[in-house]
Amino acid sequence: MAEEIRHVWLGADSIVTALGNKRDTLSSIREYRTGLCMDESLGMVCGRIASMEPIDGYTRLETCVIRAIESVQAQSGIDLADKDVRFVFSSTKGNIDRIANCGNEPPSEAFLGECARRIAAYFNAAFLPITVSNACISGVSALVVGQRLLLSGVCGRVVVAGCDMLSAFIAEGFGAFKSVSGQPCRPYDKDRDGLSLGEACGALLLTTRKSEALEPAVELSGGAVTNDANHISGPSRTGDGLYYAIRAAMRQAGIDPREVAMVNTHGTATLYNDEMESKAIHLAGLEHVPLNSLKGYIGHTLGASGVVETVISAQALRDGIVYGTKGFSEMGVPCPLHVSACHSRLKGNHCVKTASGFGGCNAAVVLSLEGETHRVLPRSNAFQVRETSVYTLPLSDKPFAEFIREEFKKLQSPNMKFYKMSDLSKAAYVAAERLIGGSLAEKGLAPEEVAIVLANRAASLDTDLLHQRILDQKTEPVSPAVFVYTLPNVAAGEVCIRHKIQGDNTFFIENQDTGQAEGYARLLIAGGYAKAAVCGWCDFMDGKWDVRLKWIERK
Amino acid sequence: MESLIRELKEHLIRELNLEDITAEDIDSKAPLFGEEGLGLDSIDALEIILILEKHYGIKLQNSAEAKPVFYSVETLAGYIAKNRR
Repeated sequence: MAEEIRHVWLGADSIVTALGNKRDTLSSIREYRTGLCMDESLGMVCGRIASMEPIDGYTRLETCVIRAIESVQAQSGIDLADKDVRFVFSSTKGNIDRIANCGNEPPSEAFLGECARRIAAYFNAAFLPITVSNACISGVSALVVGQRLLLSGVCGRVVVAGCDMLSAFIAEGFGAFKSVSGQPCRPYDKDRDGLSLGEACGALLLTTRKSEALEPAVELSGGAVTNDANHISGPSRTGDGLYYAIRAAMRQAGIDPREVAMVNTHGTATLYNDEMESKAIHLAGLEHVPLNSLKGYIGHTLGASGVVETVISAQALRDGIVYGTKGFSEMGVPCPLHVSACHSRLKGNHCVKTASGFGGCNAAVVLSLEGETHRVLPRSNAFQVRETSVYTLPLSDKPFAEFIREEFKKLQSPNMKFYKMSDLSKAAYVAAERLIGGSLAEKGLAPEEVAIVLANRAASLDTDLLHQRILDQKTEPVSPAVFVYTLPNVAAGEVCIRHKIQGDNTFFIENQDTGQAEGYARLLIAGGYAKAAVCGWCDFMDGKWDVRLKWIERK
Repeated sequence: MESLIRELKEHLIRELNLEDITAEDIDSKAPLFGEEGLGLDSIDALEIILILEKHYGIKLQNSAEAKPVFYSVETLAGYIAKNRR
């Protein structure tokens, strides 16, 4: 048996934000300078990346990711073409700007899996990319995936890259949600009135070799992903989902709350997100720990935020500093937190980094300076996995709307919300209901012990086209009820709400079903991160569906 | 007022995808949000803001201010009657 891997180190990194590259971003933050300003083309205060020399044949987003990975490769000497390296890509919307005025025919690069494939192909990557699209936790979620892969012994290095760019698609959607502030955002402040969007890209090497760690070495010592199982867009009223993620990440790192020196939260500065976080931080016993949000400097950078903010926070650990929270001056959350308004000296060795997003998902990781962890990492293959049931949503000649309505009626389980869902969500909902049958409690499973891991090709492109048509036609106002479904993981979120699933929830995008979802779900159970999982393929596009789910559990 | 209430119910059913519900099923005095009544949520609230804009030319800035107005079909209709253009 292969030697058990005990550590996952943070290696070379590269970021670009509205404040520039890593060095420029850090020096601006030190001077309390923000990259947020009024952008006339998007009509809102946000953070844009300065234009960069395009690589011929690649989109702006792909160019950004390629440059970031090139930098990581150059610094570390590792190569995506090497068989010991995997590439994990995180993005909420990829090249979504490419579907503007495309009618019903999205170009191939608008498919997120194809975008990832093009990036991987640029580097002659040895393996297919692993693409995570988990709303605003995507970046942290991708780091957790990378850590799990390394601990399971699948490979020795993972390059995680996260990126999202702003376009009318995203800006108008958040606008319809009335969640964008007219000023640079003010996390946790009593006068906060919404978020500021931002563009960013980050790439980070995760490695099992300490010699490849950036000095002084920082370890990704814990990580977890959970779900609120409460609402697809409204943050939990209790904060329990985020609390479970923080608790699980700290357990894996083997630390207790008193050892945490800094918390870098999601801190979007929307009324309800910050409120929810304050409750979760209290539940986790971290209310006295210096805490910051970086959103006031670089904005909410969506699928990049988890990677970029982890890179910045890891560097803060190395430099012994807790950055102040730009925009914060007076406490405005119900459970008071130790929000650091100004930069201060870091006292300790562990940082908790969190994220929360649409679909009810939450994620947390623990970053630890070398030699300071005494954790109990699960053995990578401590548990056997068995498959107990499968369900394939039947095909039909009927139009999807009619077909799924009949299938839903057959369940004899009325739910007013069903008819409001996107077609992808409806398909996932009905299939999961058939697969799971009774309640999880009857199976002796607690909500946080059950995971849901899905994959598909089209992500939420079917709904994305609907949202884009509203934008292109300009005759109807943008619909929040449509926009909320322009994230594939919201379909998983609907299943979580219905069945009270609060464990890991990860959504992968790949050009065809190579079994990534099931493989990852098996890894979660084998590694002791979950006791049971709903997993499989769940695709919907242009009236056609392909939904094949499995229930697997610990033997 | 009766016809406005009727019309409003039709808008709600169509725009909020309230399938299997007819205008007769909606109690004008019952709460729109929460566990009882129609069980609408925060996304529906944003959609109702759009209904007010689209059909009645009323602009509401955020759903929090609108709480008493959004209580029931009746309160909503009363507000529309006063503010429509």
